[in-house]
Amino acid sequence: MMITMNLERIIQVLFIIFAPILGGILAGLDRKITARMQGRVGPPLLQPFYDVIKLWGKEPFIASPLQPMLVMGYLVFIMTGLILLAFRRDMLHIIFTLTLADICLIVAAYNSGSPYSNLGARRELLAMLSYEPLMVLTAMGIQMVTGSFLLEGIFSYKLPLLLVLPAAFVAQQFVLIIDMKKSPYDVSGSSHAHQELVRGIYTEFSGYTMAIVEITHWIKTMFILRLMSYFWVNNLAIGIGLALSLWFIAILVDNIYPRLTWKHMLRTTWLTGFILILANLVGLVVLGVI
Amino acid sequence: MTLMDTSRLKSLWVLHYDCGSCNGCDIEILAALTPKFDVERFGIVNIGDPKQADVLLVTGPANNRNKDVLKNLYDQMPQPKLVMAIGTCACTGGIFHNCPNILGGIDKVIPVDVYIPGCAVRPEQIIDGVVLALEKLKGNAPVEEDE
Amino acid sequence: MNPETLVSINVGLPVVSALALLVLNDRRLRTAIVSLSSLILVSSSFLLYQAGGVVFSPGHIFEQAVVILDFALLLYFLYVGLKAKSPQVVLLGLAQIIPAAYFEFVVKGTHVENIMVVDSLSILLTLIINIIGSVVVIYALTYMDEHEHHLQLEKSNQNRFFFYMIMLLAAMNGLVYSNSLYWIYFFWEITTLCCYELIRHDMTEEAIQNSILALWMGLVGGVALIGTMFVSYYTIGNISLSELLVATPGQYVLLAFALMAIAAFTKSAQLPFQGWLLGAMVAPTPVSALLHSSTMVNIGVYTILRIAPAIHGTYLTYGIAFVGIFSFLITSIIALSQKLSKKILAYSTVGNLGLMIFCAAMNTSLSYSAAIILLVFHAMSKGLLFMCAGIIENRLHTRAIEDWAGLITRLPITAKVMMVGIISMFLPLFGVLLGKWAAIGITTSAPSILGMVMVAMMVIGSSATTLFWAKWLGSFVITPLVKGTAKNEELSAGYKLSLYGVLGLNILTSLGSGYVIKAIVTPIVEMNYQLAWNIDILTLHSQVGDFMILPLWGALVAIVILGNLLISSKGGEIKPPYLSGENVEGNPIGFRTTADSVVEYNVAGMFFDSEITEARWVPLSTIAGILLNLALLALVML
Repeated sequence: MMITMNLERIIQVLFIIFAPILGGILAGLDRKITARMQGRVGPPLLQPFYDVIKLWGKEPFIASPLQPMLVMGYLVFIMTGLILLAFRRDMLHIIFTLTLADICLIVAAYNSGSPYSNLGARRELLAMLSYEPLMVLTAMGIQMVTGSFLLEGIFSYKLPLLLVLPAAFVAQQFVLIIDMKKSPYDVSGSSHAHQELVRGIYTEFSGYTMAIVEITHWIKTMFILRLMSYFWVNNLAIGIGLALSLWFIAILVDNIYPRLTWKHMLRTTWLTGFILILANLVGLVVLGVI
Repeated sequence: MTLMDTSRLKSLWVLHYDCGSCNGCDIEILAALTPKFDVERFGIVNIGDPKQADVLLVTGPANNRNKDVLKNLYDQMPQPKLVMAIGTCACTGGIFHNCPNILGGIDKVIPVDVYIPGCAVRPEQIIDGVVLALEKLKGNAPVEEDE
Repeated sequence: MNPETLVSINVGLPVVSALALLVLNDRRLRTAIVSLSSLILVSSSFLLYQAGGVVFSPGHIFEQAVVILDFALLLYFLYVGLKAKSPQVVLLGLAQIIPAAYFEFVVKGTHVENIMVVDSLSILLTLIINIIGSVVVIYALTYMDEHEHHLQLEKSNQNRFFFYMIMLLAAMNGLVYSNSLYWIYFFWEITTLCCYELIRHDMTEEAIQNSILALWMGLVGGVALIGTMFVSYYTIGNISLSELLVATPGQYVLLAFALMAIAAFTKSAQLPFQGWLLGAMVAPTPVSALLHSSTMVNIGVYTILRIAPAIHGTYLTYGIAFVGIFSFLITSIIALSQKLSKKILAYSTVGNLGLMIFCAAMNTSLSYSAAIILLVFHAMSKGLLFMCAGIIENRLHTRAIEDWAGLITRLPITAKVMMVGIISMFLPLFGVLLGKWAAIGITTSAPSILGMVMVAMMVIGSSATTLFWAKWLGSFVITPLVKGTAKNEELSAGYKLSLYGVLGLNILTSLGSGYVIKAIVTPIVEMNYQLAWNIDILTLHSQVGDFMILPLWGALVAIVILGNLLISSKGGEIKPPYLSGENVEGNPIGFRTTADSVVEYNVAGMFFDSEITEARWVPLSTIAGILLNLALLALVML
């Protein structure tokens, strides 16, 4: 038992340390798969790392004195959220930590004085309005099913979470698409090679600040994928498989759908995601599971 | 070559600015970005934001109106940066050389690293030009191209 | 010093100071009296906290005084109603004075054995009232001077202003110490009086109208309390609140509590009574800061906290909780569309009070403690926000937050303090979020489908609050802060004391939330419930999960260190923003367009103007509120 506990801890710590690298590799894989779907060769797998290193070596330009500090805030708070997630702490508390991180990025974008980043920041707030309720509702679902917000509770629950909260899992797809800045929900700034409002919320980041934002974005994607893997904790392979399948679907959807409006994003996430999870919870109440 | 040098060679982010072009060269640039020619396999991405771009692709001749914009965009790009003049108009002014309001090629306004003549430039030539640019970044002497 | 003396000081000293301030209209004397009373009040509150509580009755002469003053007050209300030609005020006044006279002179039921019962809940409220109240009154000294200077008044009427402000503190203290329903009712109506007089202080048309609105809504609460008195007397034979709380629950006892709850809703501006709080924004800002953060509105929450243990497990308690969370939902959504600073703060206050009432009425040990946590931290954060908003308004002469854009360059100190204040309302590191986290945790404890409805309302409301706070926060920093262009801001000593004092207190108590819960919250919760928290150095453990405060502050420290390292190693030249290459030299928001003309870009705020309008939402929600309140009375039957 003690050895298993230590092994679990070691895996958690390794995950935290390697999350940025794994995130970068996934980002590279994302671009490769996208390219193949479009009938092209695509960049090498390690491309995101070349991008970030190159950005780090650029002449430093900043939009305001606050920017580097806020960007560091974004990185550190996301990292804190990831650490808490890996150590299976309180889900709701983790969501609020993520909010804190996002606010750092949003304020940094507002602070840069460009209309594009201003609009991008505002749309990022709307994106938060779209995915945050889904995450909070998922957390409440976890609390209702396992008795507390602590993710540790999922590990001692009798069933895999996917079987009790399938709608919450499906809703995570929305969260992932919005986070990865993929169509149709890439309204606040888009993933590579797409432009929306120039670069939207990222417009005024440059050089080392952009490098930090990129790396943080990878970590955030790893965060959401790790969360998805908690929907089947009994078997790590299945858990990772679930996460990666939603990740793949996000890439697929990106290549099929055009970018839509923020109103559409709000409408679909609320009418589909929110109501689905709510219906799931009501179903659980009616069935007597909760 | 250090890791930084390799990364700079493998990740060229492009800002495309049309100075006064008839759009012929612009269409060819976009064609170079499409799956048929796929410059993204070299890490080239059309990023649209000067603050994040490494290469400024300019088409069309410089004139009195767009010289300020061109200078502004160039200044907003952090070092290390390259400028590529795409098409004859950007190189020398092309058929609009000496016309009223035309200053000439864009090298009248900003320093140019690679000249790619053509009217309109072919995507293959653009890719050749990119290879030249990479050579320049590597620090090698400019290679004589005969065309 | 014995507790009875301390209690008497807390109620009596403000009365004496208020009278002195009314008579002496001199600026320096005013500052001296206010400062001295504040110091004494804060000290006596701490001493009372250490004493722990007391039960006693003041002499018979005080009981007689209360009766005389009460009828004088009611007659004054009638006079006001007649003079203002307000049928609501007159009718509600009569609806109080006639039964009160009957009760006092015919039934003779107003005597209670223990008139003052001071327990940990009373002491907490008195700490909030006296500390935050004193800070706001000191702030008001500077503010009112500026305000009157701006209005170019010939003769200062600050004597009247401060009379009512300090009197409000006296009434509030008296209310939370009182055990006799009659005394509670009396102090309640004094707060209504002070509220009325303070809202109409500037004597503009708008102020007078809104003061009448606040008056009659307050009187509705008074009528409800008279009802409570009658029901209590004819059910348990007296009007002692402590005895009512332990009486065997039956329909009539529950009716008494339902009426008290309705009175609480009027004071805390819950639906359908939110109108007066929104309208109270016309008053000078210290009134908003005092009414909305530290005193009057907390009375409603205090009332629900008092009665909650007695209505545990009834349908009534869930009905009250529903009114609270419904108010939270509606006001959070409407706040998204608001463009005036004080209106946003007002809607947010109603929402947070709703959340507190919801938590108290959900009646679990964790929810009860969440209500108290929210009460304490909201008082500090909201007080700070109102004080900052007042300073900004005095400097910029506008309340429209769109005109406040880029405040970090124009008023650096106040802007930064206000930004921290906004952050403290909705982000972790501070105590309000701790309360909200706990509130979300207990939402699921309502039975079945009702619980699901509450879950949906909580999530929607919570998301809405994040959105309106975040967009306001962003607007403060819109103009890039470039060295040399930031104006130097001069803050007077009184302002500095108030702002930094409350800010410092907020940070300290947030950092030490664990200690605050152990020292202040748990003793109150333990009076009626089990232990809700298990607190160690890093984590606050509860039955719904763990909340970590120190690790996040640790992360903040890491950010400051790493951020500074980053800046010193990388630095960076500040570049103008991207404006498609058309930047104009020396003008950060200008760009060149047709014929080389210079245009300044403008990005308007996001206010959902067409979807969320007060005209559409307020009438519907008010009707819904009325129905919910009536439903409460019906729930008593079940």
